[in-house]
Amino acid sequence: MTGDTAHRPAQVRGDGPLLDVAEEIARDWAALGVRGSFLARDIDTGAQLGFDTEEPIPLASVVKVPFALVVLDLIADGDLDPALPVTVDPASSSVGPTGIAAFRHPVTMAVGDLLLLMLSVSDNAAADALFDLVPVADVDARLRAWGCAGIQVRHRMNHMYECAAGAAGNDFSLALELAVRDERTGRHTIETLDPAHANLGTATALVGLLQRVWRDEVAQPRATAELRRLMGHQVFTQRLSSELRADSLRLSGKTGTFLHLRHEIGVVEADSGARVAVAALTRADRRAAQAPDIDLAIGIGARQAFEALRG
Amino acid sequence: MDLLAHLEAYVATVDETSFSRAADRLGIAQPLLSRRIKTLEAHFGGLLFDRSRRQVATTELGMLLLPYAQDVLDRAQRLEQVARSAQQAQARAVGVPADRAPAALARVIRAGAERGITLGVRELPPQERADRLADGSLAYALLRVPPEHAAYRVSLGLAGPPPLDAERPARAAARAGRGRPVHLEDLRPRRGATGERTVPLPILTLPEDEVPHARDRLGRAVARSGLSERLVRPAGPAATALAETLAGRAMLLCDEPFARRHGADWAPLADASLHRGYDVGGTPRLPGGDVPEWLSAVLAAAAGAESAVRAAGRPESTDATSRLAARG
Repeated sequence: MTGDTAHRPAQVRGDGPLLDVAEEIARDWAALGVRGSFLARDIDTGAQLGFDTEEPIPLASVVKVPFALVVLDLIADGDLDPALPVTVDPASSSVGPTGIAAFRHPVTMAVGDLLLLMLSVSDNAAADALFDLVPVADVDARLRAWGCAGIQVRHRMNHMYECAAGAAGNDFSLALELAVRDERTGRHTIETLDPAHANLGTATALVGLLQRVWRDEVAQPRATAELRRLMGHQVFTQRLSSELRADSLRLSGKTGTFLHLRHEIGVVEADSGARVAVAALTRADRRAAQAPDIDLAIGIGARQAFEALRG
Repeated sequence: MDLLAHLEAYVATVDETSFSRAADRLGIAQPLLSRRIKTLEAHFGGLLFDRSRRQVATTELGMLLLPYAQDVLDRAQRLEQVARSAQQAQARAVGVPADRAPAALARVIRAGAERGITLGVRELPPQERADRLADGSLAYALLRVPPEHAAYRVSLGLAGPPPLDAERPARAAARAGRGRPVHLEDLRPRRGATGERTVPLPILTLPEDEVPHARDRLGRAVARSGLSERLVRPAGPAATALAETLAGRAMLLCDEPFARRHGADWAPLADASLHRGYDVGGTPRLPGGDVPEWLSAVLAAAAGAESAVRAAGRPESTDATSRLAARG
């Protein structure tokens, strides 16, 4: 909204020139009316830059990354068969614009491919079919066991739709209006936007998880390798990738979008060997479903950070 | 006792020397006239007329009191006249938007004068016009209402520098050509082959458009067009805002006559639901608070209204369900 002064980050991380880059990204975001967390870390050197990195933020579809790692780890352990067929009937499945959630007819698909749809096109029906096999509490417990402090899994994907529709009666504009208004008042009408009830993550925790996945320092190597492969199949390129699309660069990422939330976490890898993990978690004060300038600002931030960190 | 009505009956009967003719002259029934005279006689304690003869004759008391009664009636009539002309001479305050063309306001004043009513125009911001109309300090006012419910509509558009020095890439209005409507989406920054990003110019709003419902609509429309709602800012003093606009550093949301009067280029907003809507209101404190048709018309013209065309509603997307879900 106009009138209020642009948000300033409470905390900025980075040394010397990296601090300048972090501040520049924070300024760009604030000018667009975007609040949020940003953290970019060189996976090998640990050099990093960012701001407001410890704030727990509702994750939207970004939660599918830690969830997928838990499922893949069960598969690697032999506790879950990746070829196990699962039948999903769209008539009763979770709501969503892509994948099985958008199908019109029942489909039977292997667990391993549900994972692919969940990560490549952010399929909510595929995700919740997997949550039927691996309950929310188990996922959260496994993340605790791995020491992933700062990431909390508390609900299935469809719970986001149920809470938004429950508060706004299927009126997208109203739900968006509520989300933006509640962000100012701090009292959340939509439960899945309330840090007390939502799936949560901090930029630090998410970057830490990506770093461990890329360094095989969490779960089993077969699980982390498969997660890296699946994240490389993501089809969305409007955020972290928007300014990093080159044959010499690869981005493996996962976006998350819900009402005024626009997130993405991912790892940029260059032919030269540089590997930078990035988490960009944003909340806009704008009542719009499409905000290409915000998506682009996330991409510009990622590029600035990558170029500053790769040395 | 209504002394004036009774004195009238008395004086008329003296003049006409007949109860029936006097009753005719006053337009009342003869029994009423007779009753009034009897009441008056009881009041004065003596007969005013001798009713024993064929023709009504005035008694001595009747002749003695006559000039005094006449005097009371004359003075009462003067009192009425003075009160009426005082009423007509009193200026009625009319609340109008700021920055209207002086000639158009002059037409409002003249239209009143032609009908014997003195009108005074007061430039006030929209909320104050509504408040002052309610408390009676304005007799009439132009009230802001959403354009689709409005009796009168004024097209709003974006003003920019005059065409000669309009070689600015960010100004979609200029690119679109004179008079062609501006779509807010057109204002999104363009990414050219050089990769250089342009920053959209701020949209400045005048006090006339800082009405909550209008401001909210504009903010939402700007957001829906892929722009930051922060782009919309209050203009502050009109002269400063115009200077920024003519210098090509901002776009001013205003009506066409205002822009043209100050030498700015102007193109209407394509979304008519963002235009100004007006009703003409009369204060509830004034008896017969209905606004005369001639006044509505001349005020609407002063506001810059063309017509009372209803704005079309925006079709809502039907695929509401999956928009509420978490997305990739």
